[in-house]
Amino acid sequence: MPYLGSEDVVKELKKALCNPHIQADRLRYRNVIQRVIRYMTQGLDMSGVFMEMVKASATVDIVQKKLVYLYMCTYAPLKPDLALLAINTLCKDCSDPNPMVRGLALRSMCSLRMPGVQEYIQQPILNGLRDKASYVRRVAVLGCAKMHNLHGDSEVDGALVNELYSLLRDQDPIVVVNCLRSLEEILKLEGGVVINKPIAHHLLNRMSKLDQWGQAEVLNFLLRYQPRSEEELFDILNLLDSFLKSSSPGVVMGATKLFLILAKKFPHVQTDVLVRVKGPLLAACSSESRELCFVALCHVRQILHSLPGHFSSHYKKFFCSYSEPHYIKLQKVEVLCELVNDENVQQVLEELRGYCTDVSADFAQAAIFAIGGIARTYTDQCVQILTELLGLRQEHITTVVVQTFRDLVWLCPQCTEAVCQALPGCEENIQDSEGKQALIWLLGVHGERIPNAPYVLEDFVENVKSETFPAVKMELLTALLRLFLSRPAECQDMLGRLLYYCIEEEKDMAVRDRGLFYYRLLLVGIDEVKRILCSPKSDPTLGLLEDPAERPVNSWASDFNTLVPVYGKAHWATISKCQGAERCGPELPKTSSFAASGPLIPEDNKEREQELPDSGALMLVPNRQLTADYFEKTWLSLKVAHQQVLPWRGEFHPDTLQMALQVVNIQTIAMSRAGTRPWKAYLSAQDDTGCLFLTELLLEPENSEMQISVKQNEARTETLNSFISVLETVIGTIEEIKS
Amino acid sequence: MIGGLFIYNHKGEVLISRVYRDDIGSQAADSAVFSSSGPFLGERLGGSVRNAVDAFRVNVIHARQQVRSPVTNIARTSFFHVKRSNIWLAAVTKQNVNAAMVFEFLYKMCDVMAAYFGKISEENIKNNFVLIYELLDEILDFGYPQNSETGALKTFITQQGIKSQHQTKEEQSQITSQVTGQIGWRREGIKYRRNELFLDVLESVNLLMSPQGQVLSAHVSGRVVMKSYLSGMPECKFGMNDKIVIEKQGKGTADETSKSGKQSIAIDDCTFHQCVRLSKFDSERSISFIPPDGEFELMRYRTTKDIILPFRVIPLVREVGRTKLEVKVVIKSNFKPSLLAQKIEVRIPTPLNTSGVQVICMKGKAKYKASENAIVWKIKRMAGMKESQISAEIELLPTNDKKKWARPPISMNFEVPFAPSGLKVRYLKVFEPKLNYSDHDVIKWVRYIGRSGIYETRC
Repeated sequence: MPYLGSEDVVKELKKALCNPHIQADRLRYRNVIQRVIRYMTQGLDMSGVFMEMVKASATVDIVQKKLVYLYMCTYAPLKPDLALLAINTLCKDCSDPNPMVRGLALRSMCSLRMPGVQEYIQQPILNGLRDKASYVRRVAVLGCAKMHNLHGDSEVDGALVNELYSLLRDQDPIVVVNCLRSLEEILKLEGGVVINKPIAHHLLNRMSKLDQWGQAEVLNFLLRYQPRSEEELFDILNLLDSFLKSSSPGVVMGATKLFLILAKKFPHVQTDVLVRVKGPLLAACSSESRELCFVALCHVRQILHSLPGHFSSHYKKFFCSYSEPHYIKLQKVEVLCELVNDENVQQVLEELRGYCTDVSADFAQAAIFAIGGIARTYTDQCVQILTELLGLRQEHITTVVVQTFRDLVWLCPQCTEAVCQALPGCEENIQDSEGKQALIWLLGVHGERIPNAPYVLEDFVENVKSETFPAVKMELLTALLRLFLSRPAECQDMLGRLLYYCIEEEKDMAVRDRGLFYYRLLLVGIDEVKRILCSPKSDPTLGLLEDPAERPVNSWASDFNTLVPVYGKAHWATISKCQGAERCGPELPKTSSFAASGPLIPEDNKEREQELPDSGALMLVPNRQLTADYFEKTWLSLKVAHQQVLPWRGEFHPDTLQMALQVVNIQTIAMSRAGTRPWKAYLSAQDDTGCLFLTELLLEPENSEMQISVKQNEARTETLNSFISVLETVIGTIEEIKS
Repeated sequence: MIGGLFIYNHKGEVLISRVYRDDIGSQAADSAVFSSSGPFLGERLGGSVRNAVDAFRVNVIHARQQVRSPVTNIARTSFFHVKRSNIWLAAVTKQNVNAAMVFEFLYKMCDVMAAYFGKISEENIKNNFVLIYELLDEILDFGYPQNSETGALKTFITQQGIKSQHQTKEEQSQITSQVTGQIGWRREGIKYRRNELFLDVLESVNLLMSPQGQVLSAHVSGRVVMKSYLSGMPECKFGMNDKIVIEKQGKGTADETSKSGKQSIAIDDCTFHQCVRLSKFDSERSISFIPPDGEFELMRYRTTKDIILPFRVIPLVREVGRTKLEVKVVIKSNFKPSLLAQKIEVRIPTPLNTSGVQVICMKGKAKYKASENAIVWKIKRMAGMKESQISAEIELLPTNDKKKWARPPISMNFEVPFAPSGLKVRYLKVFEPKLNYSDHDVIKWVRYIGRSGIYETRC
């Protein structure tokens, strides 16, 4: 039980660490320290022996030193006063003749995450940057980033940045890459490290000297370089050519991405690159490193979105082996579904049919959905296979087949007849909610073509009391009402029973409401029911089900080799959206009405998010980013619609303001740096009617107030007033945080 | 960039945990939480780091379903995991990183650890945890990969660890020159009394065959591993029977093309160790390099054409009524009679409702393993151009489970002393202009090993 009795353990270790006999014996001493680290790993609070551990750092045993430093880096935030004691030893080590000791001490010192350490590490870092051993320089360069991270709000030190830029010419490759990483973090607010022509060419020339991590990193940084001319562009592409064949898949993908981005105006170059990475990608897809294989498959799918025929001749590469892990099989099935064409459709379907009876229900279902996907183009063959699968009378297969049928009749109405013939009998093998819903929907919509449809639905009505899923009951209500319109005689009686049950006995609010709604609708008259239930299909989900058109390469090139293809675009959007909300969440106090609503709103209610309590009728549209040029032009062409002065005292962080504005969908176009006087910011926002609000914030050097000027491209006072009240609230909140 | 690295055992206990960045759980911000309360779960070290650690255990290691992806997102944090035997390695990050790179890094981490203490097992990790912390400190800084070459690392992180005090000044400067040198993979001034090198061509042959004996897919992924014990800074040149090279040379001497043309192989794609000069390979397709000292992987390649399939499996499954199955499997070895295949294992899956199995085999030993639902047939050695057979009668329990038996494929394992791709090493020349040894003085050893990868025949 490692988690319990930690106090005793701490006491015992403390005693051991103080014992002079143990201290004298190097191995025993180190063993005790090892035990401390072991407990720390297991999650025990070991901060109690901090004092003793600090003492143990004064040793010649380098392994012991490392262990103690690891310990200190973990607990320093908890014991800042005691950690200061250790700084002395660390500083001394920073001037040790052995470069390894210097590097270790510097690295550990920079990793102490506690306030106040900055003043101690500044000088050692500066010394480290000029150290003659590149090992120390590597550590020192990253140390700069760590130092900056400790005090995120501090001013960027121009001299340090210049020093780092000059170290980009260092002869050690890892120092160069670390410089890029460090600059990127320090200059994050200003858009990261600047890659101009000399730097870009310098990096390109050093590429072959770097290890795979460095190469991948530099390829990523080069993405932001814009070649001046076509000639230069092709020179760069030629230089990078060999990296498309690198032994590291990460470098290959990085190089591919860079090619795609640089050649964004030359579609034929892009296609050419994709043809050339086909080999390496296929190799990765069949490599023994399963996780890499998974990542490669995700990217293959991405490429297939734009070039559907790209891997068609290699379709056999994507056949699943029995012993492959689940996640690879699922990806391969998706790939197969996407690369199908006239020549291979027979073989692919044959293969997929084999997967449908796999032991893993999950995999079998994925294969069936894939056949459903292919059915959109090769309907007859697929429907035949799916119908045969129904004959197996297996629950997990039948339910998915019926769901596939439901989607299919919607998209390919020509197969309705075949589907209707296959349906009778499958109700016996469906138990889950999704499957039942699909079946009931089919029976309702196409009931006139299925002879026994009313009887199947009758069974459901009979058992409605024991039905556990409300969604099934809702579906049943709608389906039965629909069927009642086409076959009234057979349905009238049970529709009455179902409505009675739903209204009188049902506990679920939604079901009862739907029942009542239909009841009242029926009271109005049968024509009205027809008008509502049989209105033209305008379901918004239809858009989702339809095949997405071929997407141009440029639409995903910037997502290539990131997590987006791995998670899928939609999933990634929700992840990164939350991250944004989280970042600005803690900056705003919970007392202000709109700030609290930011992170709390669930992801799916995107529409409602804009209806903030204090914005009234105003609905600001998110992500309406204007270009600076357009803003300037519009700004100059309009007159000031509203001017106002708000009280404002002292310093603040522009970032906080930007975040807060982002929450209410006001975009920042440009902003002065913190502390400059006069300080200015230009903001823009647009509401749902297309009305633009352009705003200037101005802080004069001596005044303690902020001047706000708003311009509007359509003169409408009520929206203007609500916009200004939103703006006031945001600025008021920032003011509160400061004070 | 990697925010943290954790190693778990199969129970989900944390064996190693190293946090590089605050963003995966801001410890500093959490300090208030745990100074105020006692020794309980929530306020143990770095509350939110713990949360991240625990979340992975609950969501992935202890998950009921099969793992759906090696990249898992829990609370907006991405967990990249790799499993080695029953050890889980997880890299954690909040950034939108480059997934292939993170996995490569985890593989590298595994390689480095394996180079230090062999197999990655719970016991080895527990015994070497200090060493692992040292390594983690060195190969990642602030979440960025640093020097990860095993050769370089081994010079200053040793198993015993105390080495650094006993070093002479000279040794110390040597280490720094290697750790920080221009050519990351080799240091100057290496000397051997006997210059020797070993080349291993290691291939794994993968096959998926239909019941009718049609090859659905087959490929060989191979590696050329070199172990070099050479003095100085030797320049090496490696040649093999690559089709493109042979054809290029063949233009001069026409009769040679006809002779060697058959023996050349078409390589689909290949990648090389960092030390190989890629520009030369692109222009002349020659492979020249200065090798690292000791063992390294020179190249990795893949072929799909003209593969020599060492074994053919011919399955025959007959269902006799509802309660009996007759299975007959013939394996044929398809290589020179003078060669011997080893460690042959054929795995014939049986239905879940098997009650008893009778096996007769001509060669080797066969056993029904109920726990694995398979008949495992092992043959120690088998010469080329031979044939062997197994027949089994499987008794089934009558069940009311309507599920049809899916008939998983028959898989095979083996090891053969040749390269199934047909790759041959033609030469490996060594030049060291500064020292007085020539190509002839170097002792060279070449070995070919072909192993089965996924080698399946459907039945």
